[in-house]
Amino acid sequence: MLGVVIGGSAGSFPIVTNILAALPKNYPYPLFLCLHRLKHVRTGFVEALSLKSALPIHEPHDREQVLPGHVYLAPANYHMYITTSGTCISLSTEEVVNHSRPSIDITFCSAAKTFGSKCVGILLSGANKDGALGCKAIKDAGATVIVQAPDECQVRTMTLAAMKATTVDFVFSSHQIISYLQKLNG
Amino acid sequence: METIAEQDIITLKKVLRDSGGYDFSNYSTKSFVRRMEKILYDYKMDIYTLINTLKLDNELLERVVKDITVNTTEIFRDPAVWQAIKYRLLPKYHSQKEINVWHAGCSIGMEVYSFEILLCELGLFEKTNIYATDLNTDVLATAEKGVYSYRNASEFLDNYTKALCVNPFNYEERISLPISKYMDFDEKKDLLKIKPFLLNKAKFKKHNLVSESNPFNVKYDIIFCRNVLIYFDQYLQNKLYGDFWDCLAENGTLVLGIHESILGAMSAKYEKKGLMYQKKG
Repeated sequence: MLGVVIGGSAGSFPIVTNILAALPKNYPYPLFLCLHRLKHVRTGFVEALSLKSALPIHEPHDREQVLPGHVYLAPANYHMYITTSGTCISLSTEEVVNHSRPSIDITFCSAAKTFGSKCVGILLSGANKDGALGCKAIKDAGATVIVQAPDECQVRTMTLAAMKATTVDFVFSSHQIISYLQKLNG
Repeated sequence: METIAEQDIITLKKVLRDSGGYDFSNYSTKSFVRRMEKILYDYKMDIYTLINTLKLDNELLERVVKDITVNTTEIFRDPAVWQAIKYRLLPKYHSQKEINVWHAGCSIGMEVYSFEILLCELGLFEKTNIYATDLNTDVLATAEKGVYSYRNASEFLDNYTKALCVNPFNYEERISLPISKYMDFDEKKDLLKIKPFLLNKAKFKKHNLVSESNPFNVKYDIIFCRNVLIYFDQYLQNKLYGDFWDCLAENGTLVLGIHESILGAMSAKYEKKGLMYQKKG
């Protein structure tokens, strides 16, 4: 199975909303979101993302089975790992990584391990360096890495860090990211 | 970080068992490997040095075991659970003579004190017996003292307010309850201290969930075991859900992490009640 992992922090929420709104019901691949959240807005994320999306969005439970066309949002205060060839999710409360839990590096590295070359990693706007190592892991596994064009990012630190850590495949505007995902054929 | 070969993981688990009596065979392989990778990185050791040293150095072995276990806990983590405990669960016990509660895998005790605060607010503190266990004696020592880093607990104020000052069944109600009733802070010294009257209530004890049975020989009305079983494999999870079932009083409640669920054979023996699980007869 092919999997799409998306990481984002400050400034990424509207982009993620647009991406999810543009994808059709029964999208053939599972999507995994790892978004940093402000500490005081822990809840209501799924509801907010669901408003405009046709896809079922969940904050998964530990050991939840992955289904294509479903969106899995890393729950607040847990790291989210994708395991078992992309068919299962496991959660952990281990130490924060890059000051973050969930950490994008953790979700991305697990995606690289479990999906190998059948993976698309997308990194969006953000104010820290989380996700850079994860992008490198995805790239090293022979899969595709896309970053949101730094000029379009509300905060560009995160995408620039990823571009420094590895050779990304595409630097896309959010419109290009959407049309890439719409046409994606794994 | 270094990746560890499968054979080395097997050797490591064997050394931890033979030299230290700790059985990690039903630990989830993925989390075990992750923890070991972190330990090698932190200790600046390669896997062979570690394995060979563990055989000789018991102190190191104890330290490694402590570092394998994950010790995240927070004051009123996931306020919705605490609201449910306050408004749905605890009121049932007003007429009962005593309440027995076990915090299994209590770490540094933040949830033990969170629960004690709820008991105080509901007037149930005196008649409740609290038992708390962990494998790691360091975290138990911290739990008994009830002294924490203020900075590391920075979210607690927000969680406290949500858990205790908001009534989810009546949003117009705002309960005024200054946190200073239960804790003292020193922001400069980075200290958060649980008030003395809450200390010495819980009985803390070292206990290995994997290899030992009910540590206090009572039946519990409530067992807390939050974000502990996510590190175990399905076999061990199922065994422990069975052990908890045996330890629970009739209609007793098991409180798990909000993203944990009982899967497999034992799921038939519990009924999901909102964010908690109730023992079925």
